[in-house]
Amino acid sequence: MLTVKNLAHWYGKTGKPLYENVNLSFEDAKVYTIIGASGSGKTTFLAFIAGLDKPQSGEIFLDGENIEKIGATNYRKHKVAIVFQQYNLLAYMSALDNVLTALAVTDSEHKNDKQYVLDALAGVGIEAADAKKNVQQLSGGQQQRVAIIRAMLVDANIVIADEPTGNLDDENSAMIVKLFQNFAHEHHKTVIIVTHDTKIAQQGDVKIKLADRQFIAS
Amino acid sequence: MNYLKRSRLYLTHKKGQSLLMLLIMSAILVFVLSGIIIQNAAITATNNVTKSAGTTITVSANRDKMFSQMRSSSSKTKTLTTPTVANTKIAKAGNLSTVAYYNITNTASVNASSFDAVSTTTGTSSMGGGNMPGGGGGMSANSGDITVTGVSSTAHTATFTSNEAKLVSGRNIKASDANTKNVVIEKELATDNSVKVGDTITIKTTATSAKKLKLHVVGIYKAKTSSTGMPGNDPSNTIYTSYTLPASISGTAGKSSTVTYTLENSAKEKATTKQIKNIIASSAFSVSSDDASYQQLLQPMKNVQSFAKKIVWLVAIAGTIILGLIIILSVRTRQREIGVLVSLGESKLHIVGQLFTEMFMILIGAMVIATLLGGFVGNKVGNQLLSQQQTTSVSSTTTSGAPGGGAPSGNMPGGKTGGGMMTNQSNTSAANKKALKTLNTSITPSSVIKLGGMGLVIIALAVCVSAISILRLRPKDILIGE
Repeated sequence: MLTVKNLAHWYGKTGKPLYENVNLSFEDAKVYTIIGASGSGKTTFLAFIAGLDKPQSGEIFLDGENIEKIGATNYRKHKVAIVFQQYNLLAYMSALDNVLTALAVTDSEHKNDKQYVLDALAGVGIEAADAKKNVQQLSGGQQQRVAIIRAMLVDANIVIADEPTGNLDDENSAMIVKLFQNFAHEHHKTVIIVTHDTKIAQQGDVKIKLADRQFIAS
Repeated sequence: MNYLKRSRLYLTHKKGQSLLMLLIMSAILVFVLSGIIIQNAAITATNNVTKSAGTTITVSANRDKMFSQMRSSSSKTKTLTTPTVANTKIAKAGNLSTVAYYNITNTASVNASSFDAVSTTTGTSSMGGGNMPGGGGGMSANSGDITVTGVSSTAHTATFTSNEAKLVSGRNIKASDANTKNVVIEKELATDNSVKVGDTITIKTTATSAKKLKLHVVGIYKAKTSSTGMPGNDPSNTIYTSYTLPASISGTAGKSSTVTYTLENSAKEKATTKQIKNIIASSAFSVSSDDASYQQLLQPMKNVQSFAKKIVWLVAIAGTIILGLIIILSVRTRQREIGVLVSLGESKLHIVGQLFTEMFMILIGAMVIATLLGGFVGNKVGNQLLSQQQTTSVSSTTTSGAPGGGAPSGNMPGGKTGGGMMTNQSNTSAANKKALKTLNTSITPSSVIKLGGMGLVIIALAVCVSAISILRLRPKDILIGE
């Protein structure tokens, strides 16, 4: 379980506060959607829980352990996986190599298991022939599915997705959300999706709205 | 070791960029290798010059002392007496480890008996032969029409080594000719008198009670220099024999007046001069060294060496800066990739390691290209450089006056002494030709290892410089933006 305690952040040292006194808990086997207007600070919040940035105040705990104690690199390596709106795949590799690279970096037990990765990619509609192509030759939807498989196979406790359907059509968006739901429910993982799309936000097990510097769960 | 695979994938995917880097790195390494091999060749050539420049140390009569003794003599007839030193002392000095070989020179003036001298007039000198032209280098007080020059070996005599005289028939005078009457005569003298190798000629000493000596002709040489018109000065009238014969004619058997030591290693000139002085241990002799050839050969080599060193450093520094800038620019274009890797949990050190590995792979390729081209470029640049340096050196020598004239050689045809200038110029010219050939710019395993070391340092520094920008990257800024 990921717990955020008394988190506060503001622009500059004495600037306008982005949010104050945020206390949230993210449980296993659930999909959380965080919706908020542009500039509301939802992506900044994502950066804090993903270990990519530090809040100016407050603490974040994973299963009771402060993520600062775990160490940012170690936390990113073993505890959290991130899916970006721009897919952020390594452009000079195939889909297969992208996933294998992530497995190698995170020191996964499947780090050299090509078949394991090919099967997982096939499960989201990317067959071996496509999996071995350079990722830039794949469509946006395919690339996002590769990015999601990459996040899922590294065996992180938490998967954080930043506008994962932002560049996709409805059909692909639905498929991506379904993937996250299955992953959270079947593998008992926590999935946190940051979005501005209300349709996507509605599909979360827990919906969190960020407005007026407050996170309101429903 | 995942980053090794990433490096390979990156380089194979970015073929154009990799090829460009390979070309840049190859260009840098070709010049670094050229510098290294030119430097190595110059060092080898310098060592060869040190060994083969033929720096000589000459032990000869101290003329000031000779004249002061003559003037202080109470005798009515002032006679210039050339001092002698025992051959045993000469041999002792010759056995020094730094001496390659030595050549004793004794001269005596005699008259032709069974043959006619070439275009000379007979006469005597009131001062004696001393060091006057035709006077026979100082062993004899009287002057004849023939100069008998005794040496240890004609092959090592300056007149022969400088090609002023060249053996055309028979053989040279060798050390084994000591205590014999074997001689080598000049071609014109031989032709005029129909003398051939194997014939016997007779000479007559210039002493009051003239003695006849039968000499056995073992060789004929051709002298290049022409007569100055002075009596006894025609080079054709010089007969070469063993150093023992003139000493015997002058009544100083077992002693000699001039010896030239040729050093094994020119760098040991000062120490050897001191040792020889100690062995000769006589103020009647001056011990002088002539390393002009050595110095003249050494300077261009040193200049080439220094220039090559500068090439290596300049190219290495410029290469590091160029590669560093290229990698920094490449890091800027790869920020997203770096951010993705950081978000996956890859350490920044491994990302720097990936960059280093990519550069290392390019370095290997560049080293192959540099090894193939470096020898050719190094050879061209090195020889061009050497040629320029030698031209500068010769031109500077000509302007300032050729070295030489210092040590009396005492073995010029006609018994002339003080022939150092001509002899040294010839020696230097010959040595220059020799040195030009010795600049061998071949690629050795050690030069390739040195190149590899330099290459590693260059890419390590370049990657380190660019690593600063990687370490400063914040993945949030790269990957997430609102």
